[in-house]
Amino acid sequence: MVKAKINDIPVEVKQGTTILDAAKKVHVHIPVLCKHPDLDATAACGICVVKVKGSSKMLRACCTPLETGMEIITHDAELQDVRRTVVELILSNHPNDCLQCARNNNCELQKLAADFGIRQVPYDQFLRNLPEDDSTKTITLVPDKCILCGRCVDVCQNHQDVWALSFLERGIKTRISPAGDINLGESPCIRCGQCSAHCPTGAIAEHDDTRKVWQALYNQEKYCVVQIAPAVRVAIGEAFGFKDGENLTGKLYAALRRLGFRAVFDTSFGADLTVMEEASEFVQRFTHKKGKLPLITTCCPSWVDFMEKFYPDMIEHFSSAKSPHEMVGVLSKTYYAKQQNVDPEKMFMVSVMPCTSKKYEISRSNEMFSSGYQDIDVSLTTREIARMIKQAGIDFENLPEEESDHILGEYTGAGVIFGATGGVMEAALRTAHYFVTGKNVARVEFESVRGLKGVKETTVEIQGAPIRIAIAHGIGNVEYVLNKIREALAAGKEPPYHFVEVMACPGGCVGGGGQPYGVTDKLRTARAQGLYSDDENREIQYAHDNPYIKELYKKFLDAPLSEKAHELLHTKYKPRPTYKK
Amino acid sequence: MAKLTHQSLDSFRRELEENKGDWIKVGMSTCGIAAGADEVYRVINEEVQKRGLAVRVEKCGCAGMCYAEPLVEVCVEGVPRSVYGKVDKDTALKIVDKHVSGKRLVNDHVFNVKVK
Amino acid sequence: MEARYRKTLLLKDTGALDRTKEFFNLFLERLREEGLQEEVQVVRAGDLGMYGYGLVVKILPDEYTYVNVEAKDVPKIVQTSLKKSNPVQDLLYTPREKQMRVVLKNCGEVDPESVDDYILHGGYGALKKVLTEFTPEQVIDELKTSGLRGRGGGGFPTWMKWNFARKVEAAEKYIICNGDEGDPGAYMDRSVLEGDPHAVLEGMIIAGYTVGASKGFLYIRAEYPLAIERIQRAIAQAQDYGLLGGNILGTEFQFDLEIRLGAGAFVCGEETALIASVEGKRGYPSPRPPYPSVKGLWGMPTVINNVETLANIPVIFDRGGAWFSGIGSQTAKGTKVFALTGKVKNSGLIEVPMGITLREIVYEIGGGLSEGKKLKAVQTGGPSGGVIPDKFLDTPVDYEHLMELGSIMGSGGMIVIDEEDCMVDIAKFYLNFCVDEACGKCSPGRIGTFQMRNYLQKISSGQAGEDDLDKLEAICRATKKAALCGLGQTAPNPTLSTLRFFREEYLEHIRERRCRAGKCIDLLRYKIKQEKCKRCGVCAMHCPVNAISGSREEGYRIDVEKCVKCGQCFEVCKFDAVTRE
Repeated sequence: MVKAKINDIPVEVKQGTTILDAAKKVHVHIPVLCKHPDLDATAACGICVVKVKGSSKMLRACCTPLETGMEIITHDAELQDVRRTVVELILSNHPNDCLQCARNNNCELQKLAADFGIRQVPYDQFLRNLPEDDSTKTITLVPDKCILCGRCVDVCQNHQDVWALSFLERGIKTRISPAGDINLGESPCIRCGQCSAHCPTGAIAEHDDTRKVWQALYNQEKYCVVQIAPAVRVAIGEAFGFKDGENLTGKLYAALRRLGFRAVFDTSFGADLTVMEEASEFVQRFTHKKGKLPLITTCCPSWVDFMEKFYPDMIEHFSSAKSPHEMVGVLSKTYYAKQQNVDPEKMFMVSVMPCTSKKYEISRSNEMFSSGYQDIDVSLTTREIARMIKQAGIDFENLPEEESDHILGEYTGAGVIFGATGGVMEAALRTAHYFVTGKNVARVEFESVRGLKGVKETTVEIQGAPIRIAIAHGIGNVEYVLNKIREALAAGKEPPYHFVEVMACPGGCVGGGGQPYGVTDKLRTARAQGLYSDDENREIQYAHDNPYIKELYKKFLDAPLSEKAHELLHTKYKPRPTYKK
Repeated sequence: MAKLTHQSLDSFRRELEENKGDWIKVGMSTCGIAAGADEVYRVINEEVQKRGLAVRVEKCGCAGMCYAEPLVEVCVEGVPRSVYGKVDKDTALKIVDKHVSGKRLVNDHVFNVKVK
Repeated sequence: MEARYRKTLLLKDTGALDRTKEFFNLFLERLREEGLQEEVQVVRAGDLGMYGYGLVVKILPDEYTYVNVEAKDVPKIVQTSLKKSNPVQDLLYTPREKQMRVVLKNCGEVDPESVDDYILHGGYGALKKVLTEFTPEQVIDELKTSGLRGRGGGGFPTWMKWNFARKVEAAEKYIICNGDEGDPGAYMDRSVLEGDPHAVLEGMIIAGYTVGASKGFLYIRAEYPLAIERIQRAIAQAQDYGLLGGNILGTEFQFDLEIRLGAGAFVCGEETALIASVEGKRGYPSPRPPYPSVKGLWGMPTVINNVETLANIPVIFDRGGAWFSGIGSQTAKGTKVFALTGKVKNSGLIEVPMGITLREIVYEIGGGLSEGKKLKAVQTGGPSGGVIPDKFLDTPVDYEHLMELGSIMGSGGMIVIDEEDCMVDIAKFYLNFCVDEACGKCSPGRIGTFQMRNYLQKISSGQAGEDDLDKLEAICRATKKAALCGLGQTAPNPTLSTLRFFREEYLEHIRERRCRAGKCIDLLRYKIKQEKCKRCGVCAMHCPVNAISGSREEGYRIDVEKCVKCGQCFEVCKFDAVTRE
């Protein structure tokens, strides 16, 4: 243990604790800007400087370990002066358009300037006048607002392993861009949005699609329907002052109806459906030996994009099932439209997702048009729907609880846990067990697949047969799993796993790129807990027991993996180049 | 060439000492080359070969008098060891002719003299 | 071989008048009279490196130097020192050699392309001694005795750095030679790498033995192609001779070396940025601790030493640490190589014992300034250093004394400044360099240097207000404290130093819009002195922008608004009628 003093307050911490973390223990808050709680310190901004008594040098608190006997001063006249000057320097190089910025009221630089009481920047203002990049129509880069903290590069390179973003040039000309100075759309970017989730300012924001949705909602000709993803319900509360992870499903349904949607569905229903299709696929491959093992989940479009770009040799391992929201989308314009006697041409389907990548998914291939129309017209992020609710004058906090349109909205516990890493696997295993044995598994929870560990490997048994599974979240963790598979297959050995789940975003969809800003591991855990609680409190926890699912098959789809199911609910994949010409 | 060992290093050096004879060194660091030392080196080599003189022409590094480059140091038995500065093509020829062959120093270019 | 001449007489007039030829003839005549013309050669020297000593005569092989020789002294000299071999006492001068070539002992002596020549001059004797007679601990002790401190500018005790790395237990350790010499005007390291490459290799091998490393890298900037070529050749020769590779000199020790090229970034001379560059990453500095000697290249203990530091190692073991510590001052032992440049007569590479004064360097070694020029200051330490004004010229040159005056020793750049140099311009020159070379990682470095230069540009172009000086100083303070690496932390030094000693010049630029040295072009005003003007009209003919108008009758005038300050009129006027202020 290390014993030292911070502002004359004695503190004792483990060896290796940074001065920043040690200060938190004694309720001293050292201001930071570039440091993110989940990422390693880059030591870039220079705001967290502190002094050691007796020395005139300043150290960075975010990365310097506290040592025995150190007497740290965190606030004095000189430190205040230096920190203020650094903030003023950053502001002298930053656009002054807070009022028109995507991060207005929610920006880390803005907060720092407000806390420091900046009223005037004494230095000449100069902007770099760099062009915006909206080439992906999913994530927009605004380099003039970039403070070069380096978080996005760290996340994209070291955590997501995509390497779409990097630093270009040097000195005052430094900027963040794909290598080779190409558009983001031409780069390997998989649109996971983790860059925007970690960005402290408005330099990286989601492409705003709310206008399209307003236009549709106010168009009398359009029949607007909406679905919400599992992860949205436990994060939307953060925009309205609720507790972390609180489940606001009922209020969400109410809010969406008041916005003007004629039908409110739930992607968790789609998740139940995905379980039916995918568990059947698994049984086919595992029990009946038809098809390649391991089976790899594909509900995450960033993950699918990554596979197609970097590991196209594994395409045969993908599940051909579409993602849950696409399933609900295609069914809304066929099954629902027929039932309700609505002209699908007039329908406008919006999916509210924790995800930026879905904006790209909804038009990426012909299979997303299986209904005869674009199955999903617009995909919005949690952040966008929160803004729409506020704009529409809806008093979200005091709304009554409502229900969804059950036909495509009633869900089981299995469906809602899709939002957490390990959730897809758990849900699929519950149903796979039933398909193989004809009985429901005794204990519904699979603890070993839950939690934030980057790669979770475990073995479960169904009727005595061991099933080896692997769950990875955060694309940086996937390489380990894929290499093990490749090695085994190349050597002609048994595959190390039978079933693999991959989520591109750390934590799974609860940590998605479209969720409210400021995600940390603490928040991911809280949001996931909200989903698991929902699962526990549900009467039905198995996808195959969902009465509306049963009715859907009976009336419309026949059976899982039927011809009809394949036509509407399954898709194809193809290798994609990493750098387009 | 067999590899040296800590035992053979000293005897190898003594061998080299015995074989040392007359020499001319031309300062061939970047400062010298920038001032034209490579031409001086070439001219001296050619002239020495032409006359069949038994004097080794070698390169050396920057002796510090960068303001006087190109520098040529000459060590010939019977003549004071001298460092010539601001050596151009003509001076180089004079050095070979007068100093090496004629055993006397060249006027107007001596910058330093050394003990052998 | 019999000498042709028994004695040689060298002469040179080092005073204002050049009577060399006159005295040449006087001596020849006298020798003829005495019948000695076949025994003594009279030679006109080129430049003996002495100034202000009148007519200087050197007699060889006796090595008598006579100064201020008059015509009347000629017969006495011929009689006493040429006919006989005795000195003429009242003319005798004992030149005190101010320089001490330790590191540079082989430069100019040894053929850098021949390992044989290096060995002939005693090379690799130190390595042999160390490998056969010293344990690593004993090497550390000897280095401690010597007092050697890092010559790259940091001045860190070399024995301590090696010892830290030696004590860490690790699978691999590395020795790196920092050959990325980037200070403008500094070429000490280049000369050593080009002139005595084997000395550097020998130093690295000894370091490897002491620390327990088996691999080393020479990081040489790509702008030094000759140095790279010579080091490459030296490495190959050393490998051939068993001085590198396995079983070095027949012992158990193995060590090998490789070159890594720099790619045009001054910041990569900083230790942690250098390591990043060798690892193939972007040359960004990292926070320290951890220090490279504990955790450096690829996370392993790494010793990074400057070229000059390493070239000192063989000498220390040849002559002993005690001998080395006998040279220099109390706190700084040994010698230092300086690149003496600027407005000094003899610019070049010098090596002097630490503690010598600036005055001795500039006047006795450098030969002083050109006729009629007055010394203003001496700049040391390159872009990280400061200026030492004329009144402090008796300052001993060592780490501590220079720091007290607001400068640093740096890597050895030493630039002589005279009255025609503008201090604001000099600060601006160094800041331009820092802005260009800043890596861009930290805000103080990236934006601070840019803003500092902005204000210096305003001052030198007459557009600054008085409070701009306060702003400039505020930025300097913050950048010095909060920048991540040495580049940023020392970038304000030239500005702060020139402000400390030459504040009046800054104020003149701001208040009077005047540059007393005539360097800041925007502040120059060309005027025609009517009293001197002969009305020839030549100036008007040469003006490229037709700013001069007038006639034979009325005289000529310069239109200040049109004038672009090219200086043509000033150059062509034969009557000195055009003034520049």
